[in-house]
Amino acid sequence: MATVESIRKAYIDFVLTEGQQPKSVYIFAKKNKMTEEEFYQFFSSFDAIEQNLWTNFAVKTITEIKTQEVWSQYTSREKALSFFYSFFELIKGNRSFVVYSVKKQPKSFSTPQTFTGVKEVFENFCQSLIAEGIESNELSERKFFSNRYKDALWVQFVFILNFWINDNSTGFEKTDEAIEKGINVTFDLFQRSPIDNLFEYGKFLAKHGGLKESMGFGSN
Amino acid sequence: MSDTPKEQNSIPTSKVQRSAKFVKTGIKVGGNYIKHYSKKLFNPDMDKSELNEDNAADIYESLSELKGSALKVAQMLSMDKNLLPQAYTDKFSQSQYNAPPLSGPLIVQTFKKYFGKSPEKIYDKFNVRSSNAASIGQVHEAELNGKKLAVKIQYPGVGDSISSDLKLVKPFAFRLLGMSEKELDIYMREVEERLLEETDYELEVRRSIEFSTACANLDNVVFPKYYPELSSKRIITMDWLEGQHLREFLNTNPSQQLRNTIGQALWDFYNFQQHELRAVHADPHPGNFMITPEGKLGIIDFGCIKEMPEDFYYPFFSLTSTGLMDNKDETIKAFRQLEMIHKDDTPAQIEFYYTMYKQMIGLFAKPYINDRFDFSQTAFFEELYGFGEKVSKMPEFKQARGVKHFIYVNRTNFGLYNILHELKAEVKTDTFKPHVVLAY
Repeated sequence: MATVESIRKAYIDFVLTEGQQPKSVYIFAKKNKMTEEEFYQFFSSFDAIEQNLWTNFAVKTITEIKTQEVWSQYTSREKALSFFYSFFELIKGNRSFVVYSVKKQPKSFSTPQTFTGVKEVFENFCQSLIAEGIESNELSERKFFSNRYKDALWVQFVFILNFWINDNSTGFEKTDEAIEKGINVTFDLFQRSPIDNLFEYGKFLAKHGGLKESMGFGSN
Repeated sequence: MSDTPKEQNSIPTSKVQRSAKFVKTGIKVGGNYIKHYSKKLFNPDMDKSELNEDNAADIYESLSELKGSALKVAQMLSMDKNLLPQAYTDKFSQSQYNAPPLSGPLIVQTFKKYFGKSPEKIYDKFNVRSSNAASIGQVHEAELNGKKLAVKIQYPGVGDSISSDLKLVKPFAFRLLGMSEKELDIYMREVEERLLEETDYELEVRRSIEFSTACANLDNVVFPKYYPELSSKRIITMDWLEGQHLREFLNTNPSQQLRNTIGQALWDFYNFQQHELRAVHADPHPGNFMITPEGKLGIIDFGCIKEMPEDFYYPFFSLTSTGLMDNKDETIKAFRQLEMIHKDDTPAQIEFYYTMYKQMIGLFAKPYINDRFDFSQTAFFEELYGFGEKVSKMPEFKQARGVKHFIYVNRTNFGLYNILHELKAEVKTDTFKPHVVLAY
């Protein structure tokens, strides 16, 4: 009897051996000794499997890190770091598939279909981290911008994923460095920074008007 | 009092001070990038050479401020070039990695990578917040089976950074020291080799066990126990050594007797290694020693080991005996073997270097001449520094001389002298005597 798990496995095996998707669900089902119907019970297409695999990586990572003892002591920053480390540790076991899947995506500005699921899970996860961080004053709330924090983290996610794919260092040490440095910088920007103060100051000057006059020392 | 202690005071010693220094450098280097890119905005043809120079200058500036007085003495054996390695080994590696501590998740990740499980599963207790920074990593407190442990974790990518940092500063160093690339290169490679060895924690554990076993019989010296099964390429687990660092110890105003005991332990530790093992813990940095509550010398960190080949050991240490030094022909032969006198030197040059080096080594060997030596006497150190100062201004010494082994052997011995001076210890110096050959 086919399961989600067994179909996912068979699919990975197929694309990695053949270097491409099966020609049809019929061929794939026959090869794996199941009926087309069974296949459609779980997935509607091959792309759906791929999407599901990616989503599953993220879901698994989040479940796993939340069971760690230190989780509750972590700050938002550390929680995000923890996600990244564990995520890349997890997909290491499926590196060939990940490389195959990422490389075949068309270059475009919008998120490819395959990644929509993982993006949603990731963004929900980040959103809750960020909310937590803002509440505890770890991060600074900024009108309009704080809603976009999660986008910045998604950009990091895509960047680090591509970095990892091209990483030749032993044990992917460089990726660890990229995570440590990249996520820290991103969170530094989320924190209260000189930019906030500058902005405040600008607002103050604007409000207490007469900017031009006071700068000109009363020139006439 | 002499200017020696004052100089030592001016070296930023506490961790906070030191990292503050490097934060400053970091900001400056960052500033250099901004400067570079804003200039480039108007002049797209600009290349990066100016930027690299700016960076190297700022890095170097902060290094020079940090150099210890040991460094000054190290210039003695003709070598301005010592300035750079010393500054490097002590501080530069630290400058890069001291600043950002490893995040909790990265620590967990490092453990998972090497042991397949998180630190809480390996130890009974593990403190995610580090208790101090080591040169290229940080130290955490842990507990297993009721034993307090120190766990050293290395920052990722340190090895690569060392090589690239050296590349960055190299050209600048050549200009600054006025030496040719070829001359300096063998010294640079020696330093790079040692630094890279320091990043190999598996090697460090092996050596730590080897050396602590070999030195186990020395009086008043203690070593932590190492746990190879809980160590890996980037993690070292060892016993937590209770005690005070040298400076804290000195602040408690210890008795002369205790100072002498610690000084003697240090002397024995170093000279046993040099003369019996022919390989030496080449990092006599005060931070690598602890004074235990029982008044013993605890030694941590065997990251930097210098092995001395026979063809260096015999000519060099034989010079410390009056027997050889009194024989001019044999002494010159030894100098030649150590490349302190070159093949194509003129007779006048030979005479000059012979006199200078003889004087230098004579100074260096002073503690060996009698069976006791009082390191508290400032006169000896003033003479050393004075000589170093004089030599560093001589054009004849602009050129690099001496085999590469001098870098670390000098650093070790002058470092040792300096610590003993700080301790104001009187030491029996005939416990482990150099092996000497009287003729070449």
